[in-house]
Amino acid sequence: MQRVVPRALSEIHCRLRRRCFSQVAQIKTAIQENDVVVPKMPTFDYTPPPYAGPSASEILKKRNEFLSPCVFHLYSKPLNLVAGKMQYLFDENGRRYLDAFGGIATICCGHCHPDIVDALVNQMNRLQHSTVLYLNHAIADFAEALASKLPGDLKVVFFTNSGTEANELALMIARLYTGCHDIISLRNAYHGNAAGTMGSTAQRNYKFNIVQTGVHHAQNPDQYRGVFGSEGVKYAKDVQDIIDYGTCGRVAGFISEAIQGVGGILELAPGYLPAVYSSVKEAGGLCIADEVQSGFARTGSHFWGFEAHGVVPDIVTMAKGIGNGVPIGAIVTTPEIAKVLSYHGYLNTFGGNPVCTAGGLAVLRVIEKEKLQQNAFVVGSYLKEQLTSLMEKHQIIGDVRGRGLMLGVELVTDRQLKTPAKVETLHIMDQMKEMGVLVGKGGFHGNVFRITPPLCFTVEDADFLVGVMDYTMSKM
Amino acid sequence: MALQRHLLKRAVEGQSQYRHLWRRSSSSSSSSVSPSVCASPPELPPFNYEPKPYKGPSADEVLQKRKKYLGPSLFYYYQKPLNIVEGKMQYLFDENGKRYLDAFAGIVTVSCGHCHPEVLNAILEQSKLLQHATTIYLHHAIADFAEELASKMPGNLKVVYFVNSGTEANELAMLMARLYSGNLGMISLRNAYHGGSSGTIGLTALNTWKYSIPQGEIHHVVNPDPYRGIFGSNASCYAKDVQDHIDYGTSGKVAGFIAETIQGVGGAVELAPGYLKLVYDIVRKAGGVCIADEVQTGFGRTGSHYWGFETQGVIPDIVTMAKGIGNGLPLGAVVTTPEIANVMAQKIQFNTFGGNPVCSSGGLAVLRVLDKEKRQEHCADVGSHLIGRLRALQERHEIIGDVRGRGLMVGIELVTDRKEKIAAKAGNCSFV
Repeated sequence: MQRVVPRALSEIHCRLRRRCFSQVAQIKTAIQENDVVVPKMPTFDYTPPPYAGPSASEILKKRNEFLSPCVFHLYSKPLNLVAGKMQYLFDENGRRYLDAFGGIATICCGHCHPDIVDALVNQMNRLQHSTVLYLNHAIADFAEALASKLPGDLKVVFFTNSGTEANELALMIARLYTGCHDIISLRNAYHGNAAGTMGSTAQRNYKFNIVQTGVHHAQNPDQYRGVFGSEGVKYAKDVQDIIDYGTCGRVAGFISEAIQGVGGILELAPGYLPAVYSSVKEAGGLCIADEVQSGFARTGSHFWGFEAHGVVPDIVTMAKGIGNGVPIGAIVTTPEIAKVLSYHGYLNTFGGNPVCTAGGLAVLRVIEKEKLQQNAFVVGSYLKEQLTSLMEKHQIIGDVRGRGLMLGVELVTDRQLKTPAKVETLHIMDQMKEMGVLVGKGGFHGNVFRITPPLCFTVEDADFLVGVMDYTMSKM
Repeated sequence: MALQRHLLKRAVEGQSQYRHLWRRSSSSSSSSVSPSVCASPPELPPFNYEPKPYKGPSADEVLQKRKKYLGPSLFYYYQKPLNIVEGKMQYLFDENGKRYLDAFAGIVTVSCGHCHPEVLNAILEQSKLLQHATTIYLHHAIADFAEELASKMPGNLKVVYFVNSGTEANELAMLMARLYSGNLGMISLRNAYHGGSSGTIGLTALNTWKYSIPQGEIHHVVNPDPYRGIFGSNASCYAKDVQDHIDYGTSGKVAGFIAETIQGVGGAVELAPGYLKLVYDIVRKAGGVCIADEVQTGFGRTGSHYWGFETQGVIPDIVTMAKGIGNGLPLGAVVTTPEIANVMAQKIQFNTFGGNPVCSSGGLAVLRVLDKEKRQEHCADVGSHLIGRLRALQERHEIIGDVRGRGLMVGIELVTDRKEKIAAKAGNCSFV
């Protein structure tokens, strides 16, 4: 629906490609000449206010005492981040870092983006919370704007406070609408951590030993490690088999991310979703697209991840980027499906509050005004090419994948066997942090760099990231 | 339930002569009301604040959009719904600048006051500095808030998990109970409300809020309801039902028990005195953990105590909270013991937004305001005065079947027959 590759952009793209090759050539030349090329952070005209709060070690001590033991942190020497601006974060000493993780694919417009902060501040000064029992324009305006971004008959919005809540609601709606219980999700998926969503999440590190009924995990259409490579239709047969042999022949629904985030930036094999949607619809089920990470222009080529697969889901769930960091989630579905919740009460106390919805509306406007989707496409494609070139240089890079500014770099100790390079991943990640670049980590084996920066990420930032990755890998 | 809340709101909103009588009788320390009814309707107390002029969409325009884009299940109060555009402390303002006394607080959520300056300052400052990064990096706000929240807890309750809502908090509590005990069965009270997700819908025991989806291994016990319950205020009779459920309905072992001390959605029903002590004992003997849902009763609202469970003289194993914790910020929390918290250490339970710097700063500011402005005492004072006045009203109006509650969590039950306790349902609420 919103595929954007205008001619002007493809011209810019060509220029960048030329630049890209010449830069790689420069880097190659430098290393070949045994020059240590230490990449330089792009300039940025902003200094955060001085920090006078507790130090990293004081915070760590309190965290260990008062926060749950499953709250973990990255890096052997954890980072105390105290301020953020656009695509940069600052630590307690005022040192600047390039944020290539985006608070886990959440900061889409940029940390403390002025337009969004303005919208939030204005609303906070007026009214923080009253609930939907009373009217307020913020929720209505945002729902309207959000619905306008969805194709087909997807135009009824429910607001929640997180991706987990959104997916929980979607699964419940699917079960109510169809009168069936069985849900199919993909191995390696992540959909949330509450009772229902934990069932559809399919990675053991995120699953606890509790009852999770009615969920079937289908073979993952994983283009890198999957047995059928990129032949999406072949994987789709597993879903049909689950329906035929594992259920009564009718299901509640199917849920998937278009690009698995926590699972390591795995884009579903082409042709998979259309085939599966067809099987599921024939079995009376609803198709749920989890756009918590891939939505809101991040993939560059489209606004929503599912659009790249040529399908229209029945329910779309979203969170993370929707609010640039404010706690908000949402689902969008058709008026017909939405009716199932009108037979009884459903009320989310915080959901759709004026502040978060004002923030959400500001996000949509910034994405449009600053053409962030185009930027994600252009810079993302450039970055992916740069990383792919790096792959030619460093054996440890097993795969470079993704779309727009949702990219993954998988590290392996053996390219043929694809043995995950777990230790090396941690080490390189740490080194990159020392040099000023923050990336994320994911994948079942924890050996994939997740690169999901704020969508205002520039070409210079991409150069810096690649330069630092190259440098740290060269030093290993 | 929604109707009851609506009628409570009307009753204390001063749409009649009661406000005037309140001012007259508050000058004497007696809580009795002059039998004579005043001719003029009471006036709102004065308030030195002017709302900003409102230029946004009208109520009708908003309602149209809601119907189109927010689905048929999104209900609202009043036949002519209110377009609330601004709030300050205990007052709300509509599109015409008209002021309303907010006696519902956004469903027991706005604890310090709408746009309370100190809470506002904290969140504004933090929003400009850093909104979100997640707990994979350090930040002082979450740590400071956790420490201060833990300091409000008795016993060994000192490990805090931050989430985004009461539903998420109760989901997590149920997960922990099952993991820790190794058992499945959960016990909750009839008439309880604990959330709207697939797990918490099981714990919720009010048909209006339940959907027809599997909600395995949940037992709903007889509600220790002093007004309508078959045993009146006799806690031990009600507690026996819990023992019976365990003995006859489970393997003898349960995962846990969860209850609100004063049922909120259920109509401000305070559990019969002594109930929790007896039940906690029964549940623990069956290997279960005791969860106190403080989403509505917490943070000094009950006046006599900071936490609702303290009114029953018990210490739970897990405490869940939301609503008042952030004065309206989307924030929830679960506090438990280090021993129970450890069961979560084997795997990853990650909440992306939970404990973000803005909500944590806001939460910390709320705790400080509640202390500094002595809100708990205030709830006790004003609350008991209010209850006294309402009881006096009950003597004058047959329709008031019961006045109950504690502090500023008050309920007024309307009946068409005091003996039969027939609910007086017909009213102006648009959700019936």
